[in-house]
Amino acid sequence: MSNITAYKCKSCGLVMYPHHFRCLQCHKREFEEITPSEKGKLLTFTIVEQLPWGFDERGRVLGVVEFDNGVKALGVILAESPKIGMKLKAGWDSVRMIGDQKVYGLTFEPA
Amino acid sequence: MRPVVVAGAGMIPFERRDEDSLVGMMAVAGLNAMDDAGLGDRAVDAVYVGNMASGLFNHQVSVASALVDRLSLMPAAADRIENGPASGGSAIKNGFLAVASGYADIVLVVGGEKMREVIGPKATDIVAAMTHPSAEYIYGVTLPALAGLFTRLYMEKYGVTREHLTMVAIKNQENGLLNPYAHIRMKITMEGVLTHPQAHINSPIVADPLHLYDCCPVSDGAAAVLLTTEEIAKELNKPIVTIDGVGQATDTHTLQERSDPTDLKAVTVASERAFSMAGLKPKDVDVAELHDAFTILEIAESEHAGFFPKGEGAKALEAGETRIGGKLPINPSGGLKARGHPVGATGVAQAVELVWQLRGEAGDRQVKKATTGFSLNFGGFGNNVLAFVLRRKS
Repeated sequence: MSNITAYKCKSCGLVMYPHHFRCLQCHKREFEEITPSEKGKLLTFTIVEQLPWGFDERGRVLGVVEFDNGVKALGVILAESPKIGMKLKAGWDSVRMIGDQKVYGLTFEPA
Repeated sequence: MRPVVVAGAGMIPFERRDEDSLVGMMAVAGLNAMDDAGLGDRAVDAVYVGNMASGLFNHQVSVASALVDRLSLMPAAADRIENGPASGGSAIKNGFLAVASGYADIVLVVGGEKMREVIGPKATDIVAAMTHPSAEYIYGVTLPALAGLFTRLYMEKYGVTREHLTMVAIKNQENGLLNPYAHIRMKITMEGVLTHPQAHINSPIVADPLHLYDCCPVSDGAAAVLLTTEEIAKELNKPIVTIDGVGQATDTHTLQERSDPTDLKAVTVASERAFSMAGLKPKDVDVAELHDAFTILEIAESEHAGFFPKGEGAKALEAGETRIGGKLPINPSGGLKARGHPVGATGVAQAVELVWQLRGEAGDRQVKKATTGFSLNFGGFGNNVLAFVLRRKS
């Protein structure tokens, strides 16, 4: 299960993530809070060999996933050979340390 | 609005400059532009400094105030302009508006960044601070990673290949060999980057599908232009190069919220706005400086700015149209790829190159008979873009 909140415009129905104070499409301000569905598909990915300061890791796969209910979000892809269009299942796990604090975010495994 | 002339242009070589301070580099670039204009002891009314992150890279803020002090330009007005990697372009826009509106007659615009004061991964982290805090940054997103996500889609959609990307790198590094201000002055070959058994060591993956030679270096440097009115420029007796078009546009913070993530809308709109103000079309441009922080961007921007139809940029590159001597030379300076990319300096360095090209002062990399130049400064990952049209008046 993922733990992010996405926003569906009450006026035009556009699904947005992350948060905007006005709808990207119709500029109205009323949103229904929605959670992403469990599964989605991989839209694009990259394998990052040179991560920023604070990571003790190489070859992290980052990708953009479109959930079945239209939410799109970036996360860590836990698949050995990622392919555009592959079905993925969302999870929620520690994605980095900032100081001695774990920071949680979206992870995706093959569905 | 009054016409705005770039009466002076100057920079310092981009490289790793351990001995210099940020403000010291900007001061020398500023003096070079003032001397180039033959300004003498005339007063500068306002100073605009393009700088992204002196607070993080150098633990120094208020660098515009520090710069006027080092140059003894007081009581000139002074502001630092921060707009990510488009800080230099935004500083020029502000200087342009000051002269065009009549607020100031003589304006110094300086862009500078000293990135090598911190170690590589730290610089990567500071640059990544421009990404969305909760939807991107926490995952370890870097600017090369965003470019990697974009490149994979662009390759799929338009048939751009790693050979095409490498052609951009080879061309711009060849141009860089002709530019004494360029950071990377080294010839590379298709074999060394792509096919040699050691190619993966020469050009390792940074953010797949992008490799080392697809990415600009991390540089220290500064560049400056002196802007003024036509009247004063005539007194200074310099060739008249005017800023005829300025365009700026924005797009969503995250790539994933763009309905087509391969569509760089802010590049299209900023370019259209600049051309519209200048009363010109892309076909009128003789030389262009594009923001090739990653090789894919030169191809994508050449299409989105209107020089080639979508999907045709790589073909024009392949046909040699974008080389010096081609139909539309792109990045004769070497671009960000070879000249280097001290982020806040880049937009100003692009203008400096155009001024030199339009005056016929670009030496071995001179584009023949260039009278109209275009530059594009790409901030964030395409979420804040500036475009400029410069012209030489006969």
